[in-house]
Amino acid sequence: MNPKERIAGIRRVLGKEDVRSLARRYFVANGFDGTLTSIGVVLGAFMGGNVDNGLAVIGIGLGAAIGLGTSGIWSVWEIERAETSRELVQLESAMMTSLEDTQLTRDFRNEQIVLALAAASGPVIGVVVTLIPFLFEGVFLSMFQAVLLSIGLGVLLLAGVGAYMGLISKQRWYVAAIRMGLAGIVVAVISIFLPG
Amino acid sequence: MPTIRRVVLDILKPHEPKLATFTEKLSESEEIDGVTSKLVDIEEDVRTIRVTIEGEDLDMDTLEAKISDLSGSIHSVDEVSCGEYIVEDAWLTDR
Repeated sequence: MNPKERIAGIRRVLGKEDVRSLARRYFVANGFDGTLTSIGVVLGAFMGGNVDNGLAVIGIGLGAAIGLGTSGIWSVWEIERAETSRELVQLESAMMTSLEDTQLTRDFRNEQIVLALAAASGPVIGVVVTLIPFLFEGVFLSMFQAVLLSIGLGVLLLAGVGAYMGLISKQRWYVAAIRMGLAGIVVAVISIFLPG
Repeated sequence: MPTIRRVVLDILKPHEPKLATFTEKLSESEEIDGVTSKLVDIEEDVRTIRVTIEGEDLDMDTLEAKISDLSGSIHSVDEVSCGEYIVEDAWLTDR
């Protein structure tokens, strides 16, 4: 399949509500993991006292982003591959014919790509956004200010995702935003009171 | 040379692609002038559809390949019209 056909195929599966819904779930669930992990990493690095410059925090954070992103793409790829293989066997049995290299199997593969990318991009975005203040540490932010701003950005990101989910589920968006944002504050508080 | 102008096929397909997508994709073939699909039966994993295809010069092998590519499987060829024009069969249309 050439890149043009692949893009057209991905656009086609993105038109399916069930694919969009699953991609949203993976993106939000893994993005939640990524953002909270980043808040924990940032506070851990700062409270530990061994990290004295922003670039070091970015390095640690990016390590977490790579780990979580790889975990997202790998696990979802394998999960979806197993699920679609099972579905395919069931369908082939019902149709009494092979469905190899058909529109259906191509769509399955494109769905796998979309879902794996959604699962990987969530945590990477979550981590990268919360690391942005450390780019300015030593320029016009102190380490303490960068940590505070990082936590603030993480909480805002979580609240933004919560508000979006509240809107699409026709609930009160601000309640969903507060519920999600609160998780960031809880992680920050726990990290502060952790021994060491 | 006699040409196939219309075929009516009984096709088994999974729930995906949807009937509209399946029909639309099928009609994109150059040799096909028009397609009408009708849902006949729904089972747990598959659907049976009746597809009427018209064109100036239809080729059964090409049609079968296109339908297979769309994840469909031809169960039976229920009607075929060949020649200069389509002869409507009163027995078929009255049913």
